[in-house]
Amino acid sequence: MSFSQESAVKRAKTDLAHRLRVAENDIQLASVTEKDFPNGSLGAQTKGEMAMQMISSGWQIDLKANGKNYEYRADKYQIRLRDFNGKNYIIES
Amino acid sequence: MNRNNIWVHIILAIVLIGLAAVAGQIARWVSKDRAMEVSKPNSKVAPKPVAVPRSVNEREAEVLVKFKSNVSLTEINKIAAKNNDRIEDEIETVRGLVAIDDLDNASAEKIAEQYSQMSDLVEYAEPNLEIKLDPTQTVSPRELFDRSELLTEAPNDPMFNDQWALNNVGQNGGKQKADIGALQAWTKTKGTKKVVVAVLDTGVDYTHNDLLTNMWIRPDNVPAYKDNQLGTINDRNGFNSDDNLSDPMDENGHGTHCAGVIGAEGNNNEGIAGINWEVEIMALKFLGRSGSGTTKNAIEAINYAIDRKRNGVNIRVISASWGSTAKSKALEDAIRAAGAEGILFIAAAGNDATDNDKRPHYPSNYKLPNVISVAATDRNDNLASFSNWGVKTVHIAAPGKDIQSTWLKDSYREASGTSMATPQVSGVAALILSTDPRMSVEKVRDRLLKSVDKIDSLNGKVETGGRLNAAKAIGN
Repeated sequence: MSFSQESAVKRAKTDLAHRLRVAENDIQLASVTEKDFPNGSLGAQTKGEMAMQMISSGWQIDLKANGKNYEYRADKYQIRLRDFNGKNYIIES
Repeated sequence: MNRNNIWVHIILAIVLIGLAAVAGQIARWVSKDRAMEVSKPNSKVAPKPVAVPRSVNEREAEVLVKFKSNVSLTEINKIAAKNNDRIEDEIETVRGLVAIDDLDNASAEKIAEQYSQMSDLVEYAEPNLEIKLDPTQTVSPRELFDRSELLTEAPNDPMFNDQWALNNVGQNGGKQKADIGALQAWTKTKGTKKVVVAVLDTGVDYTHNDLLTNMWIRPDNVPAYKDNQLGTINDRNGFNSDDNLSDPMDENGHGTHCAGVIGAEGNNNEGIAGINWEVEIMALKFLGRSGSGTTKNAIEAINYAIDRKRNGVNIRVISASWGSTAKSKALEDAIRAAGAEGILFIAAAGNDATDNDKRPHYPSNYKLPNVISVAATDRNDNLASFSNWGVKTVHIAAPGKDIQSTWLKDSYREASGTSMATPQVSGVAALILSTDPRMSVEKVRDRLLKSVDKIDSLNGKVETGGRLNAAKAIGN
């Protein structure tokens, strides 16, 4: 799977809706920003994970639901959810 | 034979035979050798070398005379004695060539002319030349090296000018000489295929035109790799612990980039030049397409490298442009085991712009005698804005921002990170090892760390306070 900005946003919304058990329509896209991340895990490493230490371009996708903010990070190969209840998650890779 | 002069005479003899060179040409050659000699790191001031006839203000005149092959040494001695000259030296490697000292205080030019006139006995005669150091000029060793005749010519790789890390001439706003001194280093060695560097990464595009000739391929006399669980693996092109399919082809580009820094083929009219024009790069894949992977797969790949080393593959360096803040005793043990097999482990310090002394990054923070932790500098010799540091835990810095190198499918691109700084150190380690492929880990590590260029901006940031210098590291 290779992501575009648009498909990454769509996948992030689907994931968050599933986690929060809400309809995708209840999730708002606050912003999408092109960003350089510090490494191959887009600065959202999971436990026991090793990542290449190359500055990696991608998108920060900020979503809103139920008055709360949620941060996803994506590039053409992967989507991650950062700091969700204190943990990072690989959504797709 | 006078020991003090033997090398000068041998060099001159070769020149005389090969080229029947004119005096100026000889002077140029000798000046080059001498200039290199005086520019060793310990030299504080190195005067400009110039060639002058030895007779100008030196003892006896000395002339190199090549007698015809039918003239015996006894006859030559008689001729010299008759002219009140003395055979100062016989150049054994060139029949009939002698160095003659005049005992009458005549000039070398005059004596050379005198012998040249004996055309039935002498092929040629010319004044010996000695390199004199002009004391009026003071030149730093670095400036001396920078004279074009003392450097390897820039390779013909078309993107070499983008490789500021190897030769920074101030391109794109950079600072001149904020580089690893590759041109100087290449006057001594350009690498060897006797040294294998394992790139433990996302794999390597081993079909890349600029890497192809320097990729390790399992030799026929090394048995295929056997894993207790997976059975026999066809490791012809390296190893892949990411999916255990044995093909280490890179799907990301990161490992290919690191491989190019270490050993893209040099002077091949293609792309870039690696620090090693010749080397063997072993592709080890444990990071997946996205650029991340598991600790376990890293350990499996290290174990593979150790196994290959035990089977006779001269793996001396593992280049590890990856990491995490998670500590793993098992990974530490695997790296220690690699060290016991004579393998250096060179690791990225990380890109979080944080202090590794306070917030450790692994594997770079493992305190093992075979580990070197690498921070990144930019083209102005500043610590790169993203780079981690640590005066106790990060050992050395190397160029790591805007680094041009190989990418997937015969392409090239610039990339930044301590990922890019790490293979600079791995590459120079391989360059050091090319001069002695069996050199101990301890010695190579020592060479790398003790030869840095001290940089103010790195003082208090990395243990050595300096940036990698390839030329000094190989003792050039």
